Amino acid sequence: MAERGGERGAFRRGFGGGGGRSDRGRGRRRGRKEEEEKWVPVTKLGRLVKAGKITSLEQIYLHSLPIKEHQIVDLLVGPSLKDEVMKITPVQKQTRAGQRTRFKAFVVVGDGNGHVGLGVKCSKEVATAIRGAIILAKLSIIPVRRGYWGNKIGKPHTVPCKVTGKCGSVTVRMVPAPRGAGIVAARVPKKVLQFAGIEDVFTSSRGSTKTLGNFVKATFDCLLKTYGFLTPDFWRETRFSKSPFQEYWDLLGKPTKALLLDDVENANA
Amino acid sequence: MEIASVEKLKGLQITPLEDEEEEEEQKAQEIAVDEDDDNDYDEDEEDEEEPVILGFVEKPDHSWSLLRQQFPSKAGGVPAWLDPDNLPSGRSCVCDLCGEPLQFLLQVYAPLVEKESSFHRTVFVFMCLSMNCLLRDQHEQWKRHHEKSSRSVKVYRCQLPRVNAFYSSEPPKGNKSDKPLAPGAPLCNWCGTWKGDKFCSNCKSARYCSQKHQAMHWGAGHKPQCQQLSLSSQLPDSNTCNGGTAAIKAVASKSLWPEYEIKNEHESESETEMSEDDAQTNNSLVSKSGMDDSMKSLLDSFEGDCDRKSWASFQERIAKAPEQILRYCRSTKAKPLWPMSSGRPSKADLPKCHYCGSPLCFEFQILPQLLYYFGVKNDMNSLDWASIVVYTCEASCEGVGYKEEFAWVQLSSASPNLP
Repeated sequence: MAERGGERGAFRRGFGGGGGRSDRGRGRRRGRKEEEEKWVPVTKLGRLVKAGKITSLEQIYLHSLPIKEHQIVDLLVGPSLKDEVMKITPVQKQTRAGQRTRFKAFVVVGDGNGHVGLGVKCSKEVATAIRGAIILAKLSIIPVRRGYWGNKIGKPHTVPCKVTGKCGSVTVRMVPAPRGAGIVAARVPKKVLQFAGIEDVFTSSRGSTKTLGNFVKATFDCLLKTYGFLTPDFWRETRFSKSPFQEYWDLLGKPTKALLLDDVENANA
Repeated sequence: MEIASVEKLKGLQITPLEDEEEEEEQKAQEIAVDEDDDNDYDEDEEDEEEPVILGFVEKPDHSWSLLRQQFPSKAGGVPAWLDPDNLPSGRSCVCDLCGEPLQFLLQVYAPLVEKESSFHRTVFVFMCLSMNCLLRDQHEQWKRHHEKSSRSVKVYRCQLPRVNAFYSSEPPKGNKSDKPLAPGAPLCNWCGTWKGDKFCSNCKSARYCSQKHQAMHWGAGHKPQCQQLSLSSQLPDSNTCNGGTAAIKAVASKSLWPEYEIKNEHESESETEMSEDDAQTNNSLVSKSGMDDSMKSLLDSFEGDCDRKSWASFQERIAKAPEQILRYCRSTKAKPLWPMSSGRPSKADLPKCHYCGSPLCFEFQILPQLLYYFGVKNDMNSLDWASIVVYTCEASCEGVGYKEEFAWVQLSSASPNLP
């Protein structure tokens, strides 16, 4: 009688050893669409977003919760999020057997309506670097406040007030501009401002703007500050709201719980 | 001597000594050598890694497919004890921090083919439901004297040779008729997890593992039934006493996690198709000019700190098979996929095996997707972890019953993500 299951191994195909052939029929997934639908959240915030309890990014910003999964941003902002690769540079590391070249991709994402993000990723292949950079950009997305230059007609189109951001030696100053002025800025920050959704702005920069890193970081810092500037609209006292974790607490405990407590006490007595 | 830059980029070169200086100068101007790369280098290096087996949860095919005679790997529900008699008891069943009995998380059937004594081998993981205990447990796991540490996450390993007193030596047929050789010890009526050696004093037929569960069951439905059961147990043939048969017994507790079967697959098989269309377009985007300081500083500021980097690598790896809940790779060289860079144990933090003194080796890690499948609530005090890494005795030492192994929990840090 032939012995089923290996002689040495166990009966069932367990973990370890041979692992498994995919008898679940999972196989290859076609296209990227199914990947997105099959997102299984890893963080608590992700689970809340997947369950549909959080509907906008603003709720997350309000409580300063860290966004750790880019699918959260995908779900909340949706298809209006555009990304663009700003630059890809090869960087090399010297090894005994020549040089090891990797590519650093630099991506900016934004929906043109008040949200921008910037990401950088280095990888052996260009495609992987770009993909990784897009993900990192989505994770670092920030809200941008827009306001009016003069009459409050139509949608906000410019920065609400004069703001300035600094990084290293570079300071970037953004000044509200009337409609039709367009973005008056250098090439790289212009791109970032376009993604942010600012239509008109005058800028002025100082310092070594040749250092692109500091230059872009300064504009980012500037955009961050738009929501940090205290204007008379914010004079009203804040009504603190519950964080999403507290809000969706299922306080509807089982009714038997009260009885149980009594019983335990009786039993212990 | 002008050598084309393209050739310089290609691998090995044998050059006479005099030319080296010239070349180095030219190299420095054209292509910057990035010193920061060393950190990334290790993370990208995938060639040395051992093959990883992933675990996915699925609803069980049949109601009997997760019984212990089928040697399942399962998550949630009640454990299918391998050795049904010598169950852990006493202090091993409860959380050391709050005293509540532990709840079954998952079990992995992982036999070792090299040894006769581990023909059947299962590792069980239990944890306390309370997040407060888990937070306190974090301090405990860092302590070096592990015999005295109080944990809220406990791991047990059990192994049996092929010929044993509990199961037949032939493989199970995979249908309803499979039965173990003997019914095991009776289990608690409330949790169905631990040994039920305490009786309800009234009816003497309901069994419990602890006072707490007796109290919970009393309030949740045993009280009205108790009288009836006490009457029926006085009859000569009371078959309600024997709760340890191979039949499926419903447990009274509603707080157990939903039951799933864990199916395994090699990691490489479940890779989704990466988009290859980007590859062609990007050759043109690669700029031939070198990288200057500006780019360097920019890249430094936006790549993020170590935690972010490790999280990004973690996400990338997971993205190949987003539904995985378990990563199995039993080897001394294997490195678990850490979600965070902080909170990792060093060699010295890992204890040795309690029983035989040999070092522990990484066996598997549990991922937080499992919480999603369990439908864990997302409020302030609900369970949430980044990864639970299980280390087991390298020698898989022998013995009767269940041996305690070591679990390392990594919680997600709450640091904000802004640049």
